[in-house]
Amino acid sequence: MKIVVTVKLVPDTNAEKRIDPATKRLVRAGVETVINPFDEYAIEAALQLREKVGGDTTVTVMTLGPESGKEVVRKALSMGADDAVLVSDAGFEGSDVWVTGRALAAALKKHGFDLVITGGLAEDGNSGGVTGALAEHLGVPGLTNAAKIEIADGKLRVERETDSGHQTVTAPLPAVLMVTMAVGEPRYASLKGIMGAKKKTIAIFGAGDLELEGPIGTDGAKTELLEIAAPAVRGKGQIVTAEDGPAGAKIIFDFLKERKLI
Amino acid sequence: MQNVITFVEHKGDQTRKVTFELASEARRIADALGGKAHAVVVGAGSQAIAETLKTYPLDVIHISEDGDVDTYLLDPAVDYLEAVAKSVGPALILIPNTLAGRDIAGRVAARLEAGLMSDATNVKVEGGKPACVSPKLGGTSITTCAFKNSDYGVMTVRPNSFTAAAGGAGAHIVPIEKPAGKSYVMVIEHESEEVSGELGLEEAPAVVAGGRGMGGPEPFNDLLRPLAEVLGGTVGASRAAADAGWVPYSLQIGQTGKTISPNLYIAVGISGAIQHKVGMRTAGTIVAINKDASVPIGEFADLLVVGDLFAIVPELTKQLRATVHA
Repeated sequence: MKIVVTVKLVPDTNAEKRIDPATKRLVRAGVETVINPFDEYAIEAALQLREKVGGDTTVTVMTLGPESGKEVVRKALSMGADDAVLVSDAGFEGSDVWVTGRALAAALKKHGFDLVITGGLAEDGNSGGVTGALAEHLGVPGLTNAAKIEIADGKLRVERETDSGHQTVTAPLPAVLMVTMAVGEPRYASLKGIMGAKKKTIAIFGAGDLELEGPIGTDGAKTELLEIAAPAVRGKGQIVTAEDGPAGAKIIFDFLKERKLI
Repeated sequence: MQNVITFVEHKGDQTRKVTFELASEARRIADALGGKAHAVVVGAGSQAIAETLKTYPLDVIHISEDGDVDTYLLDPAVDYLEAVAKSVGPALILIPNTLAGRDIAGRVAARLEAGLMSDATNVKVEGGKPACVSPKLGGTSITTCAFKNSDYGVMTVRPNSFTAAAGGAGAHIVPIEKPAGKSYVMVIEHESEEVSGELGLEEAPAVVAGGRGMGGPEPFNDLLRPLAEVLGGTVGASRAAADAGWVPYSLQIGQTGKTISPNLYIAVGISGAIQHKVGMRTAGTIVAINKDASVPIGEFADLLVVGDLFAIVPELTKQLRATVHA
């Protein structure tokens, strides 16, 4: 079985992030690029499935980004993925969900897949729309928020988290699957994994290598950023020490009353 | 893009507050664009929901009671929404920013070759075009985005961002014809409701959240739930509490959990690190209870009470109850 995990390269979660007002793009200089933390769970889910399904199951990591992304992709390879595909072309700059979805779908078609695993929300854009876009462009089932995954007889059986509980859904392969953090903490790369990753293949697909119709990058995007601003600063409020329970309760009670919240 | 279509999430004849928020907002945007306001309700219970929605200022409510919508995951709903969008013509589509809503949005945007914007907290209309105002990068930047190169635009909207204002225009309820030639393969075999009867975290007007300071699962039920109930709200948690297994991840607020904007947020035993802050910084009023005066949440809470949460919370619940019942 051929499993492909699509990951997004994002600026380090813990770093201070800034957008250049002139270009309206994220200032990446000085900020380390990492794999979107949610996508590490997708890699973990893929590696677990490879262990469970066995046979000639392979895990490929795929991302769209600049060639410098190679070094970040190595981390996924050191976790245990077999190889990687970097979809990279200067023409992709300024792409939105629409262009990214089409580009990744084209790359997935070229590479081949039985199961595509994605990692839900992205730290930076937060749209979570790529999973649905891939399902549409590839014409295969797309299931999101998977907490538990089983594969038997070419069929997926997935326990999904919903807004109000859980749901069990079955669907045939090939399919696109977005996982949640419930699949388990992403494993650390072992020393052996890190050494081995250096020898693994990272293929590069340019825009010309893909069957892509229509414009890409900023020209192809269906959305544009008009303005970017800092949020209103939330000022420091009152800090009051409570002698005991009733005193603390009264402080809050009076405060809520003053704000007409009760 | 002059019309507005809002997609209604519901379970049978039950729907959420965000439905009415979006119906009201659809009217406002449609008027600004010079178009009509539509709603789409599909699956069992649609007729009943449509009757309720008629008291909101919509022009047309498109419905289908088709059982396929509840039998198969996502696909039938996407087909119906696509069919309505194509019959209505150029339109902005508003969908609640919930787990289910995001799924529909991602699919229908790709289907209609439309732009997708997520987590709108405001919609502006400038120069006859809608623009989406949305916090990004964990709320550290507020972006305004417009659509281009498409007749359609899809936006997911954060619940609690708009005011629901009834005022009926006597909307027409029209059935949607079943899209032809479709077969569905994602079968919903089993469904369990774990938080039924409660408001979703995203749209609760008040949220009482617990963190590491709760010390275990029991205080969530014994202390926080009664307080949330008396405030007409619900219970949430920090990542530390979810990671410890005290509450399910579905209650987690923050960067890796839910982003919420309740009127009132009470953080109990939560330090308020940046990962948590980004999930609740847009709350109307933030009150924190913590034994430590130097916790980060003190920097942005409207009120931090330093003291023993196990003594304060039950007492606060008691005082509030006395007022409610007075």
